[in-house]
Amino acid sequence: MCTANDGSPVRLKRRPIAESVANLDRLMDLDKGRMSRDLFWDRDIYEQELERIFARCWLFVGHESQIPKAGDYVSTYMGEDNVLIVRQKDGSIKGFLNTCPHRGNKVCFADLGNARQFVCNYHGWAFGIDGGLKGMHASEAYEETGMDKAEHGLHPVAHIDSYRGLIFATLDPQAPTLAEYLGDMRHYLDAIFDMDEGGTEFVGGCVKSVIQCNWKYASENFVGDILHAGWTHDSGAKAMVGGSVAEVHKFPDQSYQVNFNGHGWEFNQDIVGNCATLGEKDLLKYLYVLQPKVAERHDDFRSRMIGAISSCTLFPNTSFLPGQNTFRTWHPRGPGQIELHTWTFVNKNAPQEIKDKWRKGTMMTFSPSGVFEMDDGENWEYSTRSNAGYVTRQQDLYLGLGQNSKLDTDLPGNVYRGQINEANQRAFYQRWLDLMKSESWKKVPQRDIPKMKEAL
Amino acid sequence: MSAKQQLKEVPVDRDTLHKVEQFLYREARLLDNERWDDWLALMAEDIHYWMPTMENRRRADKNGAYAVDRGALYNDNLLDLTRRITRFKQPTAWAEDPATRHAHVVSGVEVYQGDKADEFVVHSSFVNYRSRVEKDNDLLVGRREDVLRADGDSFKLARRKIIITQSVLMAKNLNTFL
Repeated sequence: MCTANDGSPVRLKRRPIAESVANLDRLMDLDKGRMSRDLFWDRDIYEQELERIFARCWLFVGHESQIPKAGDYVSTYMGEDNVLIVRQKDGSIKGFLNTCPHRGNKVCFADLGNARQFVCNYHGWAFGIDGGLKGMHASEAYEETGMDKAEHGLHPVAHIDSYRGLIFATLDPQAPTLAEYLGDMRHYLDAIFDMDEGGTEFVGGCVKSVIQCNWKYASENFVGDILHAGWTHDSGAKAMVGGSVAEVHKFPDQSYQVNFNGHGWEFNQDIVGNCATLGEKDLLKYLYVLQPKVAERHDDFRSRMIGAISSCTLFPNTSFLPGQNTFRTWHPRGPGQIELHTWTFVNKNAPQEIKDKWRKGTMMTFSPSGVFEMDDGENWEYSTRSNAGYVTRQQDLYLGLGQNSKLDTDLPGNVYRGQINEANQRAFYQRWLDLMKSESWKKVPQRDIPKMKEAL
Repeated sequence: MSAKQQLKEVPVDRDTLHKVEQFLYREARLLDNERWDDWLALMAEDIHYWMPTMENRRRADKNGAYAVDRGALYNDNLLDLTRRITRFKQPTAWAEDPATRHAHVVSGVEVYQGDKADEFVVHSSFVNYRSRVEKDNDLLVGRREDVLRADGDSFKLARRKIIITQSVLMAKNLNTFL
């Protein structure tokens, strides 16, 4: 459904790649499970992330269900760049920087809606939903100067595409395809976003909040840190189900970590472990009935992931929780702040009352008022803020769990034994380092060889 | 303006107004003092405690800024509120220890006769300030629309709608009631 934006006249003069922060290799020694705190505090590193991570990677920008009709749009962010994601008349999707190419004002102040055109408040430049400049207040004045409207449309993102309803965009024309970027993670994404022929949809709108933490603390938590749940979320588990979090560290042979290109998923095979924390029996029943059908559609292994104790981050800053059904992006706002946007995803074919229970479940557990999320924010804020100390931030940090736990398996991706592990966190930071050290996509080392044939 | 707000507003007598104000002020004090169980006892069995999130939509967009089937920070019944309070009381509720200091300021109380003889529609505005550890300070300002139901000499809260001014919640969490 999605197409790349047509190449219109290039008025965006991308700066040549800036000189890198010196000696990035000093920031981590992953084989020894060590890394520097500078990643969470240094302003120059942050500026380089905006250039080499956020202006380069495929970033999640919306779900197809949010913009079903022509002219439907959502306003979101790619790094700190505000973009509009707009459904076109032919059903395709385009993305534009939300800024008027005349004097730079924002052209859309709504979070979402349906538009026939986007009109800038400043001088009345009016853009079609295809981004083209259609007209403006006092157009005669421009005609006199011979200005060509065709050269002054909204600036498109470089590429936009979707996978299983999830829309991604990149601001780098040289980026690999989305299929290559996601690689073998698509195998596992199908377990959650392709449980049946209806696929998924977002329900209930977007809940937004600000956390004073570095974006990577949130991403690394969802990429592989189930370990924290048993301790951090004890109070939330007692509130929702009257007991402690499952002791997954005692059963390492029933759970896994898998990663590819810096994306990572830690998961159990318990089918409903995450979902159980919502305290709604009807949701468990729904998943148990669905599980054999998912096994038939995909395979038994993946069918046991549909609501299991698990979490996933798609590099760099989008995460979700199967079973609890929260989907979220951690937008960076400087080295010490994020803006968190969260949605609830459900199977489109699920009964309405099941969708409603999930919408309530995400609010009760993983929203700013949720009994689980409440304790996450404080951890990430103080993990970030303690690095203000000049000497403190020269003490390195540990992420060495699960060295030598890689499994020899036919499963796609790099697979590790036991979800209590830090293999995914190390892979996430290795990808981060590779991107930060590379001057272009062509120079980014391809460490992971896809097993999924259709990847290339 | 919702259709409901345009209905005729029948004011109550001064004695009822006074009782409602005292109810709201006491409720605020219970929350300031983290007396969670005493606060929960003020809720009616059929409480709907609702705090929607605000969407920025153009005025012409008929969907409005919020709706009961969209985003919310609270959309709770009595069981949901009980679960939240269960967390507050756990010794492992790490983000509550040391304790948060709360100030709930309630003002502009208006009381009108409700749809039923024993119910009252109560409007109020609020300022909520929370402080944690050294200098985590969070401010929320908004307006509430309640339905109070007569219960002996006092009231039970049957319905509360909380509208805050913020669209992006400028805080890492919402560890209080409003």
